Amino acid sequence: MVAGAAAMASDARLSGIQIMEEVYRRHEQFPYIYEEQVMILIDSAGNRDTRKLRRYSRLDSRDSGHYLLLFDDPPEVRGVGLLTSIAPPDQISAGIYLPAFGDRLIESIGQTESESFLGTDFSVYDLLPEPLEKYVFRRQADETIEDVNYFIVNVYRPEDTAQDQQQPYKRHHIRQDNYYITRTDTFDRQGRIYKQQTHHDLKPLGGGMWRADMMLMENMKTRHQSLIKITRRVFSRDYVPEELFTLDWLISNQHMSSQPEEPASDDTSTEDKQVPPSQRSGDNV
Amino acid sequence: MFKRLLFTGLEHQLTTIIGIAIITLFTAAGLNRLTIDTGLDSLIPASDPMRLVYERISSEFGTDNRTIIYVRDANLWTPNKLAALEKLHHQLSALEYVTRVDDLFSLHTIRGEDGKIDSRPLMTEAPSTLQEAKRIREDALKNPLIVDNFVSIDATVTAIIISIRDTSNKNDFNLTVNNDLNGLVAIIKPVFDEVVQVGSPRINTELKTSLIEDFKLLGPLSAFILVLSIVIFLRSTMAAFIPIVTSILSIIWTFGLMGWVGIPVNILSVMLPSLIIVIGSTEDTHLIASYLHNIANSKDSESSRQRRHIASRLMLNHMGLPLVLTISTTMLGFASNIFSSIGLIQDFAITSTLAIIFNGAITLLLVPIILQHFGPLKNRIYQPDGHMNGVASMVLGAFRFSSSRFPRSILVITGILCIFFIYAASKLHVTNDPLSYFPEHRPLIQDAKLIHQDLSGIKLFFIALETDREKSFQYPKNIQKLADIQDFIKQQGAFDRSISLADHLAFVNREFRQDNGKLDLPESRELVSQFLLFFHRSDLESYVSHDMSKANIIVRHNIHDSHTLNRYVNELKEAIPKIIGNEIQVSIVSENLMVNQAAESLMVAQVKSLVILLLVIFLIMSAMYTSFKGGVISLIPAVIPIVLMFGTMGLLDIPLNPGTAMVAVIAIGIAIDGTIHLLSRYNELCRRTDNYIEAVSITVQEESTPLVTASLSLAFGFGILLLSNFTVIAQFGALAAATMLFSIYANLLITPLIMTHVRLVSLHQILAIKVDKEVLENSPLFADMTNYQRRKAILISELNEFDAGEKLIEQDTSGRNMYLLLSGEVDVIRHNPNEDLHLATLKPGQVFGEIGFIRETLRTADVQARTPVSVLRFDYDKLKKDLNLFPNIVAKLNFNISCILGERLADVVESMSHAQPHKQEE
Repeated sequence: MVAGAAAMASDARLSGIQIMEEVYRRHEQFPYIYEEQVMILIDSAGNRDTRKLRRYSRLDSRDSGHYLLLFDDPPEVRGVGLLTSIAPPDQISAGIYLPAFGDRLIESIGQTESESFLGTDFSVYDLLPEPLEKYVFRRQADETIEDVNYFIVNVYRPEDTAQDQQQPYKRHHIRQDNYYITRTDTFDRQGRIYKQQTHHDLKPLGGGMWRADMMLMENMKTRHQSLIKITRRVFSRDYVPEELFTLDWLISNQHMSSQPEEPASDDTSTEDKQVPPSQRSGDNV
Repeated sequence: MFKRLLFTGLEHQLTTIIGIAIITLFTAAGLNRLTIDTGLDSLIPASDPMRLVYERISSEFGTDNRTIIYVRDANLWTPNKLAALEKLHHQLSALEYVTRVDDLFSLHTIRGEDGKIDSRPLMTEAPSTLQEAKRIREDALKNPLIVDNFVSIDATVTAIIISIRDTSNKNDFNLTVNNDLNGLVAIIKPVFDEVVQVGSPRINTELKTSLIEDFKLLGPLSAFILVLSIVIFLRSTMAAFIPIVTSILSIIWTFGLMGWVGIPVNILSVMLPSLIIVIGSTEDTHLIASYLHNIANSKDSESSRQRRHIASRLMLNHMGLPLVLTISTTMLGFASNIFSSIGLIQDFAITSTLAIIFNGAITLLLVPIILQHFGPLKNRIYQPDGHMNGVASMVLGAFRFSSSRFPRSILVITGILCIFFIYAASKLHVTNDPLSYFPEHRPLIQDAKLIHQDLSGIKLFFIALETDREKSFQYPKNIQKLADIQDFIKQQGAFDRSISLADHLAFVNREFRQDNGKLDLPESRELVSQFLLFFHRSDLESYVSHDMSKANIIVRHNIHDSHTLNRYVNELKEAIPKIIGNEIQVSIVSENLMVNQAAESLMVAQVKSLVILLLVIFLIMSAMYTSFKGGVISLIPAVIPIVLMFGTMGLLDIPLNPGTAMVAVIAIGIAIDGTIHLLSRYNELCRRTDNYIEAVSITVQEESTPLVTASLSLAFGFGILLLSNFTVIAQFGALAAATMLFSIYANLLITPLIMTHVRLVSLHQILAIKVDKEVLENSPLFADMTNYQRRKAILISELNEFDAGEKLIEQDTSGRNMYLLLSGEVDVIRHNPNEDLHLATLKPGQVFGEIGFIRETLRTADVQARTPVSVLRFDYDKLKKDLNLFPNIVAKLNFNISCILGERLADVVESMSHAQPHKQEE
């Protein structure tokens, strides 16, 4: 795998989109993921808020599927759920469930790429795979940071390129050895970074796939940070049954009491990988 | 000793001039170290316990140092205008000292519609279509946290609120910030109908620039006015030149020393040059007037040098003590504010006191030298008969006519006036707000008003509630307390608006329930917490602490009057504990509030300074005139102008502020100078005459020129301050000028009326008496009297000297004088038809003429000086009058006289009894 990656990296003919396709080909192989997370919100004064969450992902295809984020702690927000669905071509819908407000899933509209959710510095989009067809990717000069070689890929909105604007919307730093995006800078119109997402604690999971166990989002404007630490990750269809992503399941408040059992194996487990056949072919594991 | 000190300048001229030159050079070197301080810090008492609370709360909830950029445009909600605002937002955010920019591009909004919730930034970037812009406008207007706070009700105005933190500690920080902000405002100004920025950096910068303008304008103008008034009143250009020299030296000494010791120039000390020129010149005026008087009385036959020499020495002799006294009282007036807790006033008190001391020293040392060498030899104010020419004589004529014709009416009218003005003074209020330092027409004030027309005021304070328990403000009952406090604020109707966590929660609750209009709080702690997930921490950090143990209500207002603001804040302080109970502690703070609350200490400090000053002056004057009556009399002419001044403030609604608060004490210090000069002269004259009314008349005639000149010069000089850029200084100038005019009235009408009823003896005179102590102690007239009482008794008598052979008393003439022989010898000779009988030779300490003193009868013998003699003459009529004025001394004298008479009688009886047997034997 490493040898293959090195060969790719040395290939200067790879375009931005090709690099991005390789990124998703390698790292978005498992559609059924269950994660237990600790989220730490750090404000400009250094105060920290800690939340415990569960995240369920169930992808039917690259552009359709469901995500459910459930709050377990602190107790007063236990049971709060954010249900996100993506549907082709790039529709995203979200619903919020507040147990204290009653048995209602309130449709949340206006989710944008720049809008953070539920007091964090992440937007819903930051935690979803990037729809490649929606953006223009332009490869920039490679960089070496602390002895690690990176592809630099600028992301443009199509309308920006149409207006011949040179200012990227985002910039990805992609490790050349494993094609993992370790840093994404989001720019404002003046070309300044206003958000920076970095991935840490990278672990190889097999088949050329890597996962980061820690993600940090830094808002340069507000000087706030949101850190997500994955304490447990399970790739298993059983952990993310389809009924989880329904209104009825949320309203029934089953999630308030139920948590998936501890697996016997390692925290980060791939014990029940369900890889779509289309992607399996590209698996280098 | 005192005299030696007074004559130091004249006796050691070269040394004095070299000394003054060295000090001037040394202090001048400190001038370029001078700094300017216009920070608000000096307006807050250093000991204010709220400082620490304020620092803690502002570090928790953010700084209250906020600048508002006001943007008005009829078509604000269009893509290009919003794009201009977006650009400005980013430019502001890029400034290193800006900690936060709250505006349309940072605001978060939540909107509930058709069962859906839309939680997002109002806009992250300017819209590209008009329709989108209209939707943003609609969202803004639906959000009660935005309307009136960031967007006006008609949506034609928006505010950009910039939080600034000074981390540089550079002296020109505010100037830098103000210039940066003005630069950015200038860029977008053409795009909008109106753009202004108001905040601490601008206020501070304008204070500084105005201060420098004042510095350049007021000093030279005061000097010009001084020269003009002295030339008019004293009719001598040299007389005008001298105060300018002493003032310039005093200014260099004062500001140079400030530079060396690090006392900054503040908005009060900017008027120091004017004050030094104006106040310092009064001493010069008195000296020059005395000198001119002496020149008028000098003999033309003497050389110019001799005339100047004699006139300047006599001047120091005559004016030395009153000058030292007046310098001391003026200095005390300024120094009485040294203990003010407000740094601004304290610094001014220190520097102004130093300035008066420097000016006094320079005047006493240098003016006699200048006059001795260059003093004018022509006198145009005193006529040969002692009367005066000029404006002063006209003023004096009017006063003399009034006081001689209607003395009672004047006293009654003054009494009524004082009562009325005391009543008017009861309406006096205090203010210490920095914005009130500027006049109304100033663009800064107009801009602040403009903002207030469309949005909440630019001033704010925090109501911070603190508990011991984390998450306390997740509980609805505690959030309700925030809402209740805000309801109370609304009922007060004084403040523009308040915002707290309760508003945020009520708003999100309304949007979730989609119940338009009703702003109810969530009912459960869980719902509160779950709603709070919809806010980013930066949205709430000004309203609730991270651990939710503390909450903050931000109150915006536009009250510039400290008295009103403090009244409403005190109401809040009383009401809040009743609302929140014992478990929650409350602090109401902000830098602006501390500055305004210092106004209360201003009032207390004013009263304290006044009482202390009056007491000190009373004690000094009582000691100087050796009676408490002297102290009281000295104070009356000083207190009347102050009463009139406070009454004027009440009538004209002029507040007590750091400027006007000092007028009373400074004016007392100056006004008493005139009284001291009057009393000193009157006292001297009383030793020569028993006609006190005439003594008063002469006193007023001689002293009125320097008094009127000094007071009018002071009034004009203070009046110059009306041109200041600062309202506080202009008000100070106007009031001080009015007080100086009031003091003319008091000194020329009231003081003479009181003086005719008193006879004072000064301590200086008592100490200066040169009489053989043994003679006094052994004299039967002064038996059982203390040395001090003897000296005082001497001063209510008259000292006469006779050559050998001169008759002190002539037989068969009537006279009611009694004499005490101080030195020399006198013979008592009775002329009988056939022979002259030598009855006795009297030695120092012995008394004669006591029979005529007691009973009007013909003298029974001559008393003739055997050698040159000096005697004290006690006049019956004068002593009779003095019985009321010095009852203890006169009673003692009368007792001793009766003892002397008793002994005489015993001697007569004894001599008769010796004569009787002799006759019988014959």
